[in-house]
Amino acid sequence: MIEAKDIRAGYGDGADILTGISLSADRREIVTILGPNGCGKSTLLKTIAGYVRPRAGSITFGGTDVTAVPIHEKVRHHKVGYVPQTDNVFGTLTVAENILLGARQLAKTEKEKRFAALMDQYPALAGKKTRKASALSGGERQILSLARALIAGPEILLLDEPSAGLSPLMMHEVFDAIGAIRDSEGMCILMVEQNAFEALGIADRAYVLSLGQVAMTAKASDLLEDPAMRKLYLGGEVHAE
Amino acid sequence: MFDFFIHVASIACLYGVLALSLNLQAGFTGLVNFGLIALFGCGTYGAALASGMGWHPLLGLPAGIAMAALLGLFYARLGRKLSSDYWGIATLSIAEIIRISITNEQALTGGAQGISGLPLLFAGLKPYDGMARLALYVVVLALVWLFCQRLVKSAFGLSMKLMREEPQLARSLGYDLDRIRRVVMLVSSAIAAFAGFLYAHYLTFVGPDQLVSPETFLIWSMVIIGGVANNRGVIAGAFLMQFAMAYVPFIKDALELPTDFVAAARLIIVGGGLLAFLLWRPKGLFPEKVGGSNGR
Ligand SMILES: Nc1ncnc2c1ncn2[C@@H]1O[C@H](COP(=O)(O)OP(=O)(O)OP(=O)(O)O)[C@@H](O)[C@H]1O
Ligand SMILES: [Mg+2]
Repeated sequence: MIEAKDIRAGYGDGADILTGISLSADRREIVTILGPNGCGKSTLLKTIAGYVRPRAGSITFGGTDVTAVPIHEKVRHHKVGYVPQTDNVFGTLTVAENILLGARQLAKTEKEKRFAALMDQYPALAGKKTRKASALSGGERQILSLARALIAGPEILLLDEPSAGLSPLMMHEVFDAIGAIRDSEGMCILMVEQNAFEALGIADRAYVLSLGQVAMTAKASDLLEDPAMRKLYLGGEVHAE
Repeated sequence: MFDFFIHVASIACLYGVLALSLNLQAGFTGLVNFGLIALFGCGTYGAALASGMGWHPLLGLPAGIAMAALLGLFYARLGRKLSSDYWGIATLSIAEIIRISITNEQALTGGAQGISGLPLLFAGLKPYDGMARLALYVVVLALVWLFCQRLVKSAFGLSMKLMREEPQLARSLGYDLDRIRRVVMLVSSAIAAFAGFLYAHYLTFVGPDQLVSPETFLIWSMVIIGGVANNRGVIAGAFLMQFAMAYVPFIKDALELPTDFVAAARLIIVGGGLLAFLLWRPKGLFPEKVGGSNGR
């Protein structure tokens, strides 16, 4: 579904942050991107999303070349949903208004149907429909921005640290929700994460980045078992769960 | 005294139109434009052009709006590459470059002397011409206000506010920021030029001194004092500022203060008023009403 080849990218006229990254992700698959702070995970996701235009390389979605397509067109015409790492809600709008922003292209009845379905799915939001989004907690905002991306019915979902700042309980809830989306909708999900163990728990495959390159790629289950990997990238000998 | 009141109210109406224009840009869309006065200048020089070329005076309006549209689109174009603060400085510089070019150019614009002898609107209605003009300005202000209200309450108006609040997030929801910026600049530039055209036919004189950057900051103070992103508020701000400044000389006379006091007091009113509101009432006299967009 997503095919990125030899991507080089950076900001303004600064040096390349990504120095030749190739990556792929399929339908009904969660691919997670791991790596230390500042290694370029968000930049990679933003490049695939269309915020940052690659300086070299190519990106295709389902065989269509989208290398130079900006984010707003990807969202409108290529069934992409993107959830940013920070600043992910409009504080002055209510929860419901925020979510409905994601459904602008849908017909009214379809919009209402999907909104109701999402409210059933995320009771935490349903109870606060008419609240201003600025009054939500960090975790609730994450769920809100996820719901807003989902209401349009994307085929590709790009998530930048969906578990950032969440309590363990909330984190599990969000990850369970993401896993459920893959299974029920058959979506292609690309997810940047810091909580490597948890992310590998639901992911199918993983890429580990280091200094703007893919240092290693493997099946999520293999990566979880590999002691060298644990030591190097996942922080010592700590066990999952 | 009554004539003076009519005069101040007339000017306040035209500044109200300018404040509405700036409010569309800076208030609702977050486009921090410090070069607004150049867009106004397109309107004044559009009027001057028609007069200089011997056209019908009304043709100055489309001429001014066309020039303002081009300049507005140029501003918008710069906004694609520059971050908000740099864009503000760029617009300020461009407005100054335009003013200085006009000052040093003779053939077309009359240079520093400007162009005088434009026809005064409703001159034939003496002695009621002042009131007739004021009535026209009030109608224009009301129509522009109505238009701005409808615009900011539309789906497009919501996209303006989303761009102001979280531009990157707005993009991820399919909003094309370049297009929003273009449309806002086009519409608001035309409004500013309209005010300039009326102003030129009010003073019957057009000159580069009308385009100095403190004028832009005066309009900014009207927007901030009246209430950023509140159309009613910025009109109130325009009237408040114009009347406060116009009545300074009377205070001077009453208190028997020296003549220097007038210029200084006007500066204090703009600067001090701005500061006072930023410190104690940052949302202005009429704060923005937020939300209530039902997610369109
Ligand atoms: N908008 C920007 N302009 C210039 N440089 C940037 C910008 N955003 C990120 N960078 C730089 O790019 C590099 C990679 O940043 P990026 O945000 O992709 O890292 P990350 O892997 O997502 O880190 P984190 O885990 O902290 O989120 C960093 O060195 C950062 O300083
Ligand atoms: Mg990041």
